[in-house]
Amino acid sequence: MIGLEHYLTVAAVLFVIGIFGLFLNRKNVIILLMSIELMLLAVNINLVAFSSGVVGHGDLTGQVFTLFVLTVAAAEAAIGLAILVCFFRNRGTIAVEDVNVMKG
Amino acid sequence: MTVFAFYLFAIGVIAGGLFTVISRNPVHSVLWLILAFISSSGLFVLLGAEFVAMLLIIVYVGAVAVLFLFVVMMLDVDFAELKAGMAQHMPLALLIGLVLLMQLAFAFGAWDASHMASDQLVNPIPGDIQNTAALGLILYDQYFLLFQLAGLILLVAMIGAIVLTLRHRQDIKRQDILAQMYRDPAEAMELKDIKPGQGL
Amino acid sequence: MISADLNLILPEILLSVYAMGALVGAVYTGKDNLAGTLVWTTSAVFVALAVWIASSGTGAQSGFGGLLVNDGFARFAKVVILGSAAAVLLMSEGYMQRRGLLRFEFPLLIALSAVGMMIMVSATNLMTLYMGLELQSLALYVVASLRRDSAKSTEAGMKYFVLGALSSGLLLYGASLIYGYTGTTAFDGIIAAAKHGEVGLGLLLGLVLLISGLAFKVSAVPFHMWTPDVYEGSPTPVTAFFATAPKVAAMAMFARVMFDAFGQAVSDWSQVVALLSLLSMFLGAIAAIGQRDIKRLMAYSSIAHMGYALMGLASGTELGVQAMLIYMAIYVTMNVGTFAFILSMERDGQPVTDIDSLGMYSTREPAKALAMLVLLFSLAGVPPLVGFFGKFYVLRAAYEGGLAWLAVAGVIASVIGAFYYLRIVFFMYFGEEKDEVLDKGKSPVLTGFLLVSAFLMVAGVVNLFGIEAPAAAAAASLLQ
Repeated sequence: MIGLEHYLTVAAVLFVIGIFGLFLNRKNVIILLMSIELMLLAVNINLVAFSSGVVGHGDLTGQVFTLFVLTVAAAEAAIGLAILVCFFRNRGTIAVEDVNVMKG
Repeated sequence: MTVFAFYLFAIGVIAGGLFTVISRNPVHSVLWLILAFISSSGLFVLLGAEFVAMLLIIVYVGAVAVLFLFVVMMLDVDFAELKAGMAQHMPLALLIGLVLLMQLAFAFGAWDASHMASDQLVNPIPGDIQNTAALGLILYDQYFLLFQLAGLILLVAMIGAIVLTLRHRQDIKRQDILAQMYRDPAEAMELKDIKPGQGL
Repeated sequence: MISADLNLILPEILLSVYAMGALVGAVYTGKDNLAGTLVWTTSAVFVALAVWIASSGTGAQSGFGGLLVNDGFARFAKVVILGSAAAVLLMSEGYMQRRGLLRFEFPLLIALSAVGMMIMVSATNLMTLYMGLELQSLALYVVASLRRDSAKSTEAGMKYFVLGALSSGLLLYGASLIYGYTGTTAFDGIIAAAKHGEVGLGLLLGLVLLISGLAFKVSAVPFHMWTPDVYEGSPTPVTAFFATAPKVAAMAMFARVMFDAFGQAVSDWSQVVALLSLLSMFLGAIAAIGQRDIKRLMAYSSIAHMGYALMGLASGTELGVQAMLIYMAIYVTMNVGTFAFILSMERDGQPVTDIDSLGMYSTREPAKALAMLVLLFSLAGVPPLVGFFGKFYVLRAAYEGGLAWLAVAGVIASVIGAFYYLRIVFFMYFGEEKDEVLDKGKSPVLTGFLLVSAFLMVAGVVNLFGIEAPAAAAAASLLQ
């Protein structure tokens, strides 16, 4: 039988993949943005899993939270890509590390 | 059947996520990301959250992933070069990933909620109405404030995207429809009566 | 029912309606020509709202089914946020105007981010907190990369965005675990489930992830990586803004979550916060020593200051919260003055941020050099200036809260930190004279803010302008 833990495990693995991607692709900003989307997706799976399976008949709060996370993630993607486009116009590349106008 | 569906979608989510971050071609990355989104919306259906599942497909696959694809295609980036550093970050990234995963596994061995959790639920799922209707009933009522804030956030995203990327280029010709409509033959044309043999 | 709720957030509603109205108005009329006017009107709106909030009632009213609360703590934080945002906006006008950066969206984005901050500090639900936080952050990501033709500014925006989104992700994952454990996202429900001794593993993990996310937002070590780059790369007025209002909002939110949601489990988080505080104080003090760029230096300085403010929080007492609020109010005032000075550093009309360029500044502009000296001494915590009292309050709170070791470490860090502030003073009074000297400051607004802020650092010694009582009331309202 599939229980709450199964879903939590999927979400945990996905979250870790997201963080793994952030460290793995430190140069490639587009993949960085996708890794962030993966992390937020993991959060959403967590929230929906808890909302339907915490106890008893479940609770809608988690699903409402998911709705808001989805909205914000979409807005975040839009802003992130806009900054990326600006960055690309200035640099001609999307690598954050190799140019290093600022060290850090 | 549910077990089979769960494992199908779970594998889809994890494989999609993994290949998103390790794929060599960013277009493939976006496609893997779409797989992850679609599979997780399958998981949501299994969990009884149909509305969120459909929203995930419409908003993410329909808008966000396409936005990503659009940007990947629009920016002419040499991706092979960007991938060069990947191998060198691999050990650190793997280490961090494994440590984190172990910690999470430690916590989730068996999820034990607080014994008070069942008494604290604010919005128990009603048995007699559908998921979408039930969400609608609380979203515009109890969470009215958050709904408005979400609107403001989208407004900021819109302003931000315009501020950062809109360029008024002077060197191209534009069509101004209003100006065209207001053109008047009397002003637009000047009639000259030219006498034969004299010129202007 | 709903009208009582709406009354609760009337300042936020008015501010967002103003921002939207001004946006539409500006788009259809003057566009960027109106930017200067909009900066002034936005500041005026900020000040008016701050005065209104400061004078509006006492007591705590909860609204929207427990999504947010309007109590003394929220009002104190909102007044500081709005006041500092207004000051920074006024300072930025001339600077941005001269560099063609002043676009009419700038004051409006600041106004919308202020709405987000006001929501953040009064949130009593993880969802409200998240929405407020994101409203603030998204607007800040945009203003960080506002100078879109500069590689530095867009890189700063990019870094800020990636790390900010990462921290939001951590915070959210923590929030989801807390929801799963306690069955609710409301702080009053969480506090009932999170009693000391009953904190389950899942909740503990959620708490740690939540603290990591919050530590990112206040740029505490080890989550400080973004700060120096973003401070250096962003346009200076934007840096000044980052160093003031959002810091207050993030710190107030941190305190709100820790006390309102985990107030029954203080011993579970106070050690973690104490560690963050210790690391921030030392890293801020030591890493700043080698800096030649005054904006980078201010970034490390702000990391160190956040360490002191966290010390008040770590003590886990009412006195600690009061000390933290006083510290933040003083910090903001000092930073406004210091950034007024940095904004006025120009050579041939171009902004300069080298510390070396200040060589023998005192001979050319003795008044401004003296004001800067007072501010730097105050930042370093030299008695008897106001900055010293800020440090004194948090150290006392840490000592009385049973964290004597942290208080001792704080004293040591502040001695180390004094070195780099004094180095700037050294350059101004005894440094080498450069051939290319800085322009004479022409902006009366900047000079005014610099002098007033320095004057406050001296005059406040008498009674700190009576800030103690409201801060105490605010702390009491948080811990009741």
